[in-house]
Amino acid sequence: MTLSLVMHDWRLLERIVGLTNRLGCAYTRVDVRAGEAHYHATIDFVGPPDALRRLDAQLSRLLNDDKEMSR
Amino acid sequence: MLQPAESTGAQLVLDVLADEGVEIVFGYPGGANMPLYDKLYAHSIEHVLVRHEAAAAFAAGGYARASGRVGVCFATSGPGATNLVTGLLDALMDSVPVVAVTGQVRTALMGTDGFQEADVTSIMGPVTKRSVCVRDVRDLERVLRAAFRVARGPRPGPVLVDVPSDILKAACPKMDPFAARPVAAAPEHPGDGAIDETIELIRNAKRPVAIVGGGARSANAVYLYRELVAMLELPHTATINGLGCATPGDPRFLGMLGMHGWKAANLAVNTADLVLALGMRFDDRVTGKPDKFARNAKIVHADVDASEFGKILPVAVALRGDLRQTLERLVRRLGREETMPRFSGWAAEAKALGGPLPADRAPHGELSATDVLDAFFAVAPDDTIVSTDVGQHQMWAAQRQRAIHPRNFLTSAGLGSMGFGLPAAIGAQFAHPERTVVAVCGDGGFQMSMAELATVRRHELPVKILLIDNRRLGMVRQWQELFYERRYSHTDLSDNPDFVTIASGYGIRGERIEDAGELRDALERFLGSREPALLHCACFPAENVWPLIPPGATVDDAMEAAPQTEAIVA
Ligand SMILES: Cc1ncc(C[n+]2csc(CCOP(=O)(O)OP(=O)(O)O)c2C)c(N)n1
Repeated sequence: MTLSLVMHDWRLLERIVGLTNRLGCAYTRVDVRAGEAHYHATIDFVGPPDALRRLDAQLSRLLNDDKEMSR
Repeated sequence: MLQPAESTGAQLVLDVLADEGVEIVFGYPGGANMPLYDKLYAHSIEHVLVRHEAAAAFAAGGYARASGRVGVCFATSGPGATNLVTGLLDALMDSVPVVAVTGQVRTALMGTDGFQEADVTSIMGPVTKRSVCVRDVRDLERVLRAAFRVARGPRPGPVLVDVPSDILKAACPKMDPFAARPVAAAPEHPGDGAIDETIELIRNAKRPVAIVGGGARSANAVYLYRELVAMLELPHTATINGLGCATPGDPRFLGMLGMHGWKAANLAVNTADLVLALGMRFDDRVTGKPDKFARNAKIVHADVDASEFGKILPVAVALRGDLRQTLERLVRRLGREETMPRFSGWAAEAKALGGPLPADRAPHGELSATDVLDAFFAVAPDDTIVSTDVGQHQMWAAQRQRAIHPRNFLTSAGLGSMGFGLPAAIGAQFAHPERTVVAVCGDGGFQMSMAELATVRRHELPVKILLIDNRRLGMVRQWQELFYERRYSHTDLSDNPDFVTIASGYGIRGERIEDAGELRDALERFLGSREPALLHCACFPAENVWPLIPPGATVDDAMEAAPQTEAIVA
């Protein structure tokens, strides 16, 4: 599963790594670029399909809170 | 252009808090947050000095659970902040709005292993919705405002703001109460299609059951929930966080669901062909074995948090959005139907699936915890707020409680953290000074927060402590009895201190009972005054919580008594 994520706080990567590990998944590539006001991360995740689905859903929640915190 | 430096970071923190509606903060001072405490000295915000930071987080959570407002706690850097971890995780697990403000060592010391330095934002990451360190005083107000928005919702939870001491001391412009600032986005609601599908499923169902969870409390949707189940004459049940949602005395309410839930509730869900899951998240203490849970039912799941859909069980319809709006739409649409589907016949059948709660019999004359709790709930005023600690007494109380609103039954449900009961009651009493607030505690958990008796005394809070003392870590002892061949490893507390003497040391009236005959009068004295009080109930230690669906098992495996007739206690 490859996700393109927009982070306002670059430290969110730490949460993403923690969540990935907690759900029994891993990543095979992390690419982060700093933009003007946010960071663009492209991450390749591997893991059981069910866990990846949960990870995707929880990451959306995390990114929503990050977006709200940056307003 | 440079603005006049009329304020400081510390002053700004307090002014923003007050502007966000905060009237009370639970906390503990230390080196790094001293600038904040210095400004608190003369501020309108009331501060409650707890005796351990863990209690500050629990009390903020108790305040928020009981009031629906954001609870706030303060701690200093390093050990002060790390002591908040458990209480913040408790708030995260039960979706309780809390904002924690921690002092941090000055920015120049960060990363040098300075005295009382800890990487607080990293430690707090997984136990909060967001945890942020403010390194520039110009960001402080924006971050604090955002912390309140994020804590409040859409799904509430804790947010931590870590502020280094130099930022607290830094000069900055005064807060402008009239400045334009972002407002929270309007809550989402499900589309008509999903509502129509839900109504179609209800129309076609023969045995629908509603399950309500803490989401109804968070969304202030309790009255709509009551309306929905009443108009459909639905049998319904609640997770532990949904207790109090049912209309008091509703005959179609089947009691709590789950591991220690009522038999009728568990069997009804097992028999159901449709489950309306409203603001609940299929916790393993509710589902046991997920693939066997509600095995004949289609599931309609309403939640504000999309990540909950399909997390544990597949759903037929996902109603994403604010539960109040979802229920409003459902109720309105149903009200327009020509014929209302009604399920009173099935509701009566569902109720008949179970009987009374099974209980172990106390040896002659000895006090049984379940008798104490039955008697307590029978005489407590209707609007009593009960907090519980964690363990057997929590489950006995949850089975028997008669809360008229979910904000009246406060319990560490998702995290199950001992030590919660007393500080949560303190928070609730500050939220509702006029109400009777009772902390139901076990002897183990009470000893984790016992120092908060000092907080009770200082503020002359009329908090009551109903101490269910079985001289054991009862819930663990029960599992040792049932699942570990009675090897009672380190669950004996038979050398407990004299709790009445301890209470009296704090200036709080205590009374000890050990005989069933003393119970009624003692409860009357206990509840009859506006003073803090401790009722120490010395109960027989072998009593178990029934029913019990063993972990990972199904309702078919429910136990109603220990396999051998006489329970042996170490
Ligand atoms: C902070 C914390 N530590 C450990 C546990 C594990 N635990 C769950 S229930 C329990 C026993 C609680 O004993 P007590 O407070 O006496 O209540 P009882 O079960 O006897 O009613 C323990 C140790 C926990 N839930 N929380």
